[in-house]
Amino acid sequence: MLTINNLHARVEDTPILKGLNLQIGPGEVHAIMGPNGSGKSTLASVLAGREDYEVTAGSVDFDGIDLLDLGASERAREGLFLAFQYPVEIPGVSNLNFMKAAVNAKREHQGLEPIAAKDFLAMVKEKAALVELDGRLRDRSVNEGFSGGEKKRNEIFQMAMLEPKLAILDETDSGLDIDALRIVSEGVNAMRDAGRSFLVITHYQRLLDHIVPDFVHVLSEGQIVKSGPKELALELEAKGYDWIKEPVA
Amino acid sequence: MAATNDIATRQAQNFVAGLAGATPLGLSSLSDEGRAALAELPVPTRRSERWKYSPVTAMLASPVSSAPAPKSWPESVPANPVPGLDAYRVVLVNGHVVPEACDLPVADGVMCMPLSQAVKEGRIAPGDEDWTGYHKREWVGAVNAAHAQDGLFLSLESGTSLDRPVLVHHHVTGADVASCPRHRVCLGDNARAEVVLWSSASNQASGMVNAVLEARVGAGARLGLDKVQHEHGSIFHLAHEHVTQGKDSTFRIHTLTVQGHWVRNELSVLQHGSGAHTVMHGAYLPKGSEHVDNHTTMDHTVPYCTSSELYKGILYDRSTGVFNGKVFVRQDAQQTNAYQQNANIVADAGASINAKPELEIYADDVKCSHGCTVGQFDDEALFYLKSRGIGDRAARALMVQAFIGDVLEGMGSSEVADEVASLLAERHGWM
Repeated sequence: MLTINNLHARVEDTPILKGLNLQIGPGEVHAIMGPNGSGKSTLASVLAGREDYEVTAGSVDFDGIDLLDLGASERAREGLFLAFQYPVEIPGVSNLNFMKAAVNAKREHQGLEPIAAKDFLAMVKEKAALVELDGRLRDRSVNEGFSGGEKKRNEIFQMAMLEPKLAILDETDSGLDIDALRIVSEGVNAMRDAGRSFLVITHYQRLLDHIVPDFVHVLSEGQIVKSGPKELALELEAKGYDWIKEPVA
Repeated sequence: MAATNDIATRQAQNFVAGLAGATPLGLSSLSDEGRAALAELPVPTRRSERWKYSPVTAMLASPVSSAPAPKSWPESVPANPVPGLDAYRVVLVNGHVVPEACDLPVADGVMCMPLSQAVKEGRIAPGDEDWTGYHKREWVGAVNAAHAQDGLFLSLESGTSLDRPVLVHHHVTGADVASCPRHRVCLGDNARAEVVLWSSASNQASGMVNAVLEARVGAGARLGLDKVQHEHGSIFHLAHEHVTQGKDSTFRIHTLTVQGHWVRNELSVLQHGSGAHTVMHGAYLPKGSEHVDNHTTMDHTVPYCTSSELYKGILYDRSTGVFNGKVFVRQDAQQTNAYQQNANIVADAGASINAKPELEIYADDVKCSHGCTVGQFDDEALFYLKSRGIGDRAARALMVQAFIGDVLEGMGSSEVADEVASLLAERHGWM
């Protein structure tokens, strides 16, 4: 699904990713953990196509496509989804119009007709139920006046609407209370299937109690320094990050 | 510097010479006063503060002349440019009303006709030919007064209302044409009317449109104006609306500049009855090297009045914009609640806006707020939209539509708002 090979990226003159390798198979859930400043969010941004980051070396193969060759919107249409750590408020753009434009952009890319209004509304209803997003929030301007939890639920709602091949969750647990964490996680778990992969970026182990990963990776200084089964997350929680600083050979 | 002025004055004399042959509207004292004022008033150049960013110098470089009355309405132009709009119609070509393309209301208490007809029928008393004295203050006003051609005359008796809006469509065709439409609207107490002012021009059209609208809104009356400028060609468009409001009246205007080579809108509202409410909203989206200037004056003179002003602009390419919003709260205007907001997005590096809110408050127990912003597209929001698969163009379109959405929403006619939205979408490639 996703093969990252020797990825280097920088912001302005500061190198952040320094030779990152990662392979994610179809249907797999990978968690990336790591201390602040290790490059977790940079990885998410680089994969999603944020323009502030410059890739200086390496390659990313996304289901047979050279991901780095595509713009942000093309990546999304190919099936990549980023759940933002800080979802953006866009006054005046209704959540529904936004989703309709996004769904239709993807359909156009797939050679399909725009979705019929009735089908769209049915889809909205079904997907919103996954994360208990009520009608009031669906109709409002994108994220405007949403609480932290509502914003994150809206991210997962959008993910459900767009049915990506690979979803990257960038610190989706930040700013969530226990109930919201449960709702968001259940939404994600409901979408797990053999064809859809997840890259879960988190600082804390608690999210991984709810979204149980197949693999856990530790990112430090712009490289994956340790990989292991889900138990690695517990070990990290107990011992902190200091005991693994050296890259694996 | 005097020499510059002399050149402008000479140019101005030369410029108006071609107007002398205009069919006089028949408002002879107004016309005489206008001619006299033309000889006295300074030509608006950069030296005048009010015209600093919109000097008429470029317009003066190509003298214009009045066009003869057309035989008929041009076939290629829809008399009603708004699909689905059910409206009465007063239509003009190059300043002349084209009677056979008009559709006028006939109802008790309603007088709606070409202004020229109202003059002929003696419905305008000598000494009541103008309500504002604009022609005594401004050169461009004097041009209109001296050479006014025709326009809408709408007068509603107390308690009457129009069942449909009146569409006033002014179309320009031909090169170096001068059009001086003049409109007059008078609503008696508790009367209600909606007017759509639409201006268009053909691709080859050039010259000047110098339009004046004067309105009186009686006590408890409501007047709404949807004003849309959609002119192809290269027209210098000077517009002046002056509205006087009575007690507990409401006046609303939406000024949408969809397209125009060079546009100067002057809007002036005077509240002289307490409890009056005014809405002045507008949007402008110039591109290429277009120029759009909105000068507004909101004059609160009596207590318990409110006003809400919202102008939004997006400036593309090398276009230039001006917003100047004057709000007066006179000494007696206690309990005034005045709001003014002007928000601009400069979409391209070559574009610019000069924005200036001006509040003069002489009463002490009032609520006045104003804000003025100039910014760019929010990159973070654009990335968010794109990260969901929406293309760059469509993402910008969504954001622009959201930005001007609250201006379009409040328009009197949803058909007009929809048509404006679709013209903008077509023009800016948002479809």
